Formats: sequence, structure tokens, C-alpha cells
Amino acid sequence: MRYFIFFCLFFNSLSLAQEALTNHSNLFSPTNVRKFADYLFTQRDYLRAIEEYQRYPSILENDTVNFKIGFAYSEIGHNQQAAEQFLNTSSKSIFFDLSKLEYLKSIFKENNFEKYRYTFENLKLKENYIYFQKAKELFYFSYLFSDECLPPKVKFLETFSSNQNEISKFYDWKTDPPYKSALTAVILSSIIPGAGKIYTEKYADGIIAFLATGILGYISYTDFKAAHRFRAWVFSALTAGFYGGNIYGSAASAFIFNAKIKFDFIESLKNFLEKNNYFIPKINF
Amino acid sequence: MKFFLIIFLLAIAKVFAQTDWVKWGKANYSYELPNYIERNNYSLDEKNWERNLLKVTADAYWIFISDVDGDNCSFNPTCSHFFVQSVKMTNIFQGTLMFFDRFTRDSDIFGKVGMYPRVKDGHFYDPPSLYLLDKNKINYFPPSAVVNN
Repeated sequence: MRYFIFFCLFFNSLSLAQEALTNHSNLFSPTNVRKFADYLFTQRDYLRAIEEYQRYPSILENDTVNFKIGFAYSEIGHNQQAAEQFLNTSSKSIFFDLSKLEYLKSIFKENNFEKYRYTFENLKLKENYIYFQKAKELFYFSYLFSDECLPPKVKFLETFSSNQNEISKFYDWKTDPPYKSALTAVILSSIIPGAGKIYTEKYADGIIAFLATGILGYISYTDFKAAHRFRAWVFSALTAGFYGGNIYGSAASAFIFNAKIKFDFIESLKNFLEKNNYFIPKINF
Repeated sequence: MKFFLIIFLLAIAKVFAQTDWVKWGKANYSYELPNYIERNNYSLDEKNWERNLLKVTADAYWIFISDVDGDNCSFNPTCSHFFVQSVKMTNIFQGTLMFFDRFTRDSDIFGKVGMYPRVKDGHFYDPPSLYLLDKNKINYFPPSAVVNN
């Protein structure tokens, strides 16, 4: 009886192993590869998903797959490849209209705003085009990124169907950025050493500059008073150096402050667009 | 038969033991810190007399103070390198003003953490190109960034 059970288990395991091997040979069939690629796509493992989708030409005949490849390229920042992928979408595809919008988004993400506007105007999107309004919103939004003149505020804001308050704040920020004047910083530092730095919100640097100039100036003054002429001139030179350096540094600090404001503004715009998916409706694949 | 088995097993054990020696062999790691003195260019290759005068001053500072004292400046480039680079990028007058400003910032006793981005080795990134009063040359990095220098 013991031998019988032993042999049963032995042959059973052999037959199961055989079955597993049969399934294994099917793992790389187009259907299974597509399923695996879809799984990777949902896990946002886009690069590997693209690789899997591109494994068989038969998979690439599917419009959804082609759109997903373009979308995946866009998500990982390969904007040029994404644009090419969306541009090749067949006019018979259900994703044709959305592909046009995604194509425009890819150009936008390359920070090539002039090309975006040129493409938008030359794609000749009809006003009844389902995503015309979305593309137009992105068209106007692109002005916030570039150094060109903004359209009038009312005309600019009426383009957007939602988030008007937030976009209005961006418009105001763009037209009247909270920059600091280098000239004001220089004048302030000339009157009170360090004041220009405090004006540009470098508080610690301002206090240090005030103390350095003040203490060295005082030492120089007392040395002159005590007739230590050589020492007095050394400290006078140092005082002049710190005083001049602080005036120069205040102007430089204003330039850096303005660069920071510009950087923060661009980051805010990008975050806003990411949050709102570049005004493109999200698809639940 | 028993002896044969024992000898066979011992032989196998010896072979694998040998393999293990290779696997867990001593690695030749070097814990020596990079020589910061080597990054200083002490040569006088400038044609401009102002720059040569400055270079002599900087060389004297590096040889008699900095190389002896150690790598203590919290900035990258260090204050002395900042001075040399500033003068190269501008002129001796503007470069000197930039240096005094940098020295004030370096003396900040309230702490520089959160004010400057860092390079990979932990130093604060503060290149002279930020202080040329030219907005097109300012490549701004937020303090949270780690810069590849």
C-alpha cells in the first residue's frame, strides 16, 4: 500500500510538471504578452510596457495599443516619440481626435511654445472638433510660459472653462511679478550696509554684512584716533571692501531673487498643468 | 567502498572550499580620501598682469594656509577658487567685490542650510556665474536640489 501511494504521488507530480510546461510554452503568445503589457501599463511601468507591446506586429495593429504606447512615451517624458506615435494615429481610429490633442500636448511638454501655437493654428481644428476648446486652453496657457505679450486679461480668462481663479492669479503674477529692484537694493545697502540684502530677503547675510562693515569701520576709526596709522589704513581698506562688496552683493542678490521668482512661477505652472492633465480628459484604460 | 566515498566527499569539499576562497577573497578597497591639493592649479599661465598678481596671492594662500589648514570651506567652489574664477570671468575690480560679498556670505553664523543647493559631496553650490549681474547667465537651482558639478 505504501509503495502504491508513493508511486501515485510520483507520477502525479510528473504529470502536473508536464502540464505546467505546456502552459509555460504559451506564456509568450501574443495574447499573453498583450495581457502582461497591459498589466505593466496599469502599474505605470511604461518603458517595459512599450517593449512588450512592440514584441509582436499583430499586437500593434490594435488602435488602443498604439494610443497606449504614445501615452506611455508621453508619461515618461519621451515627448518626441510620443508626438510621432500620436501623429501616426489612423483617421479611422476611435482615438483619432484625442491623439491630436495628445500630439499637441507632447509639443507643449517639449517647452516649444511657438511650435505649439504654429501647430495649433495649422492643424486647422474645426470649432466643432470635440477637443477644440481644450487645445485652445492650452494655446492660451502657453503665453504664461513665454516672454511674449499676454492677451488682454478678460479675453485670456474667458477661454478657460474652469479654474479661472487660479489662472487669474497666474496672469497677475506674470504681468506684475513680485520682483525686487537691483537699484533699490544698491541704494539701501549704500545707506545702511546689509539693508539691500534684507530687502532681497537674505536676512542673515544682511545682518552679517552690517556687523562686518560696522565693526571693521569702528576698529579703523579707533586706530586713526589712536594714531596707529598703518593698522588704521588696513582696516579702512577692509571696511571699504566689505562695504563695496555688500553693495555689489545686494544687486546680485536681487538678480538671484528674481531668478528664483521666475523659477517658482514656472514650477507652479507645470504643477498646475500636471494636476489638470494639460486640460485633457483622463482616460480610464 | 566506504573509504572511496570518504575520499570522494573530501575531494569535493576541498574543491568547493577552494571556490569559496575565491568568492570571499579579500577585496582591495581604498579608503584614501581624494587629494584636494591636486585640484589647485598653481601655475602662472596668465598673460594679464592683474591676473598674475591675483594668482600669486591665491597660490600663496593655498600653499601657506589652505593646504596646511585643510579643506574647510563649506562652499563649492571654495572662496579662494571663487575669487580666481570671478576675476577670470570679469575683471580685478568686480572680482574683488564679488569675493568680499562671498566672504560675507561664508561668514554667516546663522547657518547656510536650506539657503543653497548642494553638490554631491555635501558642499554648498555657489558659482560666480550667479553674481555677474546678468540674468541670462543665472542658472537657478532651488536649495533642495543636488547639483552635478
